[in-house]
Amino acid sequence: MTKVEIFDPALCCPTGVCGPSVDPELTRVAAAVFTLEKQGFDIKRYNLGNEPGMFVENLIINQVLHEKGPDALPAVVVNGEMLKVGEYPSNEELAIWFGIQESDLKMKKPTNLLDIKFK
Amino acid sequence: MQNFHPRLLKETPFLFFTGKGGVGKTSAACATAVNLTDQGKKVLLVSTDPASNLQDVFGMEFSNQPTKVDNVDGLFACNLDPEEAAKSYRDKVVDPFRGKLPDAVVDQMEEQLSGACTVEIAAFDEFTNLLTNSELISGFDHVIFDTAPTGHTLRLLQLPNAWNGFLEDSTHGASCLGPLSGLSAKKELYANTVKVLSDSSQTKLVLVTRPDSSTFFEAQRASTELKEIGIKNQLLIINGLLKKPIDNDEISSAFYNRQQKALKELPESLKQLETYSLPFVSYSLIGSESLRHLFKSYLLSSSSQESVELKSDNLLTLNQTIDDLYVKNTRVILTMGKGGVGKTTIASLLAVGLAKKGKKVHLTTTDPAAHLEFVFKDELVMDNLTISKIDPSAEVEKYKAEVLLTAGAGLEEDALRYLEEDLNSPCTEEIAVFRAFADVVEKSNEEIVVIDTAPTGHTLLLLDAAKSYEKELSRSTGEIPDAVKNLLPRLRNPEETSVLIVTLPEATPVFEAMRLQQDLKRAGIQPKSWVINQSLYGTETIDPILSAKATSEKVWIKKVSEELTKQTTIVKWQPEDKLGNIEVEELIN
Repeated sequence: MTKVEIFDPALCCPTGVCGPSVDPELTRVAAAVFTLEKQGFDIKRYNLGNEPGMFVENLIINQVLHEKGPDALPAVVVNGEMLKVGEYPSNEELAIWFGIQESDLKMKKPTNLLDIKFK
Repeated sequence: MQNFHPRLLKETPFLFFTGKGGVGKTSAACATAVNLTDQGKKVLLVSTDPASNLQDVFGMEFSNQPTKVDNVDGLFACNLDPEEAAKSYRDKVVDPFRGKLPDAVVDQMEEQLSGACTVEIAAFDEFTNLLTNSELISGFDHVIFDTAPTGHTLRLLQLPNAWNGFLEDSTHGASCLGPLSGLSAKKELYANTVKVLSDSSQTKLVLVTRPDSSTFFEAQRASTELKEIGIKNQLLIINGLLKKPIDNDEISSAFYNRQQKALKELPESLKQLETYSLPFVSYSLIGSESLRHLFKSYLLSSSSQESVELKSDNLLTLNQTIDDLYVKNTRVILTMGKGGVGKTTIASLLAVGLAKKGKKVHLTTTDPAAHLEFVFKDELVMDNLTISKIDPSAEVEKYKAEVLLTAGAGLEEDALRYLEEDLNSPCTEEIAVFRAFADVVEKSNEEIVVIDTAPTGHTLLLLDAAKSYEKELSRSTGEIPDAVKNLLPRLRNPEETSVLIVTLPEATPVFEAMRLQQDLKRAGIQPKSWVINQSLYGTETIDPILSAKATSEKVWIKKVSEELTKQTTIVKWQPEDKLGNIEVEELIN
């Protein structure tokens, strides 16, 4: 099974809504990752601010950080191979990697998977 | 109104003294602690105030471990400095990666962990450790906290998804929980802490305010927030009440009348609380003896402050400051500082002063308690002066709607909810207000913009996270309005922008303003000057209490003007109701 790892720069929140402007790119990625995960695909996202350990342990990402500094982020590793540096994967790329239709990334899913309670 | 006395607190083991900076909560907490120990109780006093002056109060150093207080049998104290806690949390997270990751990458991590959320969570973590240490706690009859956690922190800790989602599976969860991710092992401890806090037989919340409307507003907000999360056992202390004015002393009677007027406008929800007062005292509440006097209402004189020598020749009047801004043709003027220090008043005076000199001026505020309408009676507003107000809650709603419409477009229900959850984070308000703020600043192309309240250092750092603003902006694919793009360079340019830090001549407001100045400097903004507002020093009062207070202000005026800034403006205490438009003229001439 395909394994996708996205290495984010230090972010306050994964959707990017707390940045100086909403970056729709971040929101898109957050939604896509969320949807893929819920469908059981092996996709992980690491935030430098919270999980720096992953940026050390993963030798490929570590190397690119030493070469290019923080500008290398976000970076994407697919099955152990660095496929993107300095940008997020498009939905099309994600669909190709996982062998699904791009439209599946927007598929309607049951809503009881996430335990969110609103006050 | 009945004087507050610690015997009113009965047998409640946990006492939280909360209120905004400068209202005297440390004094009230310390005096209560001393009084309870004098009654034979064993008391632990805990300060979580970053500007804590416990060491000044008791004349000894404290750490985060309880230390016996000299000369007060049965009293122990400790200082849980949240910024210190945040720093050690940050170091704990970051240090292992130094050398393993490039410096620039480590810097980025550090900046991300410098936000307000980290500080708040780290502080909560520290006092949770204390509160849940049953072995330690069981040794005391009372534990008194100076500064309670805000509703925001507690709400964060109650977010079910925070625990069930984010902490176990770090790719999901409400935002701003980054700092929590390292603390997941303590889930149960936090839950217990929140439970103890909301148990009215165990915890009493003492809200401390000053007798003025802006601090009432703040207290009301804290009261409501904490009630919402179950902390209902509340009591109100109105601190610094002048019991009676001196005849034939204009300052004294104005001071008294202003307090009485504010009391008449006490917010409805606060009226429902048990309410007590503490007297305005001239003496510094330093040392156990003066603390003991507080509940006896004895007047003491403060002779130790007399010896402070002030170089008054480097203190500007507000008029001189306006002249200076006029001559330099400053385009953007920000008044910054904690609530209640009179930012709105100062901003208004500067705006009117510049407008009177013929400049076109726009004045705006983000203060939810703003009384611009009060300062300017409508009919007196000048032609070349316009006024607006940034309402944070309206801005947040506008911003949320905009995001859901753009970024949320086409998302399925789950993902949309996920996005919404992030939008409910405290950062959103900051960003939303920030956007509105940037729009106002953009107007400085056409007119002078005077802004009461500015973005916090946290927001600016966030903007500047990569330490290369331009690069960050060019890389971002988000649509960034020009106003936001221009903002930081403009704020950093002293030719265009003047930041004035407003403070009161008292310990806590000065310490808080110092931290603000540091934050701004980190963001590359150099504050131009400080304004010491509501100073009794230099007034003609013969009221023994007020004139003694004037003397005690000297030490803070000296610190500001000789250590903290190159330019200090001093504004004498004024009766608030004199700040209508016509009187403004009087005041600045």
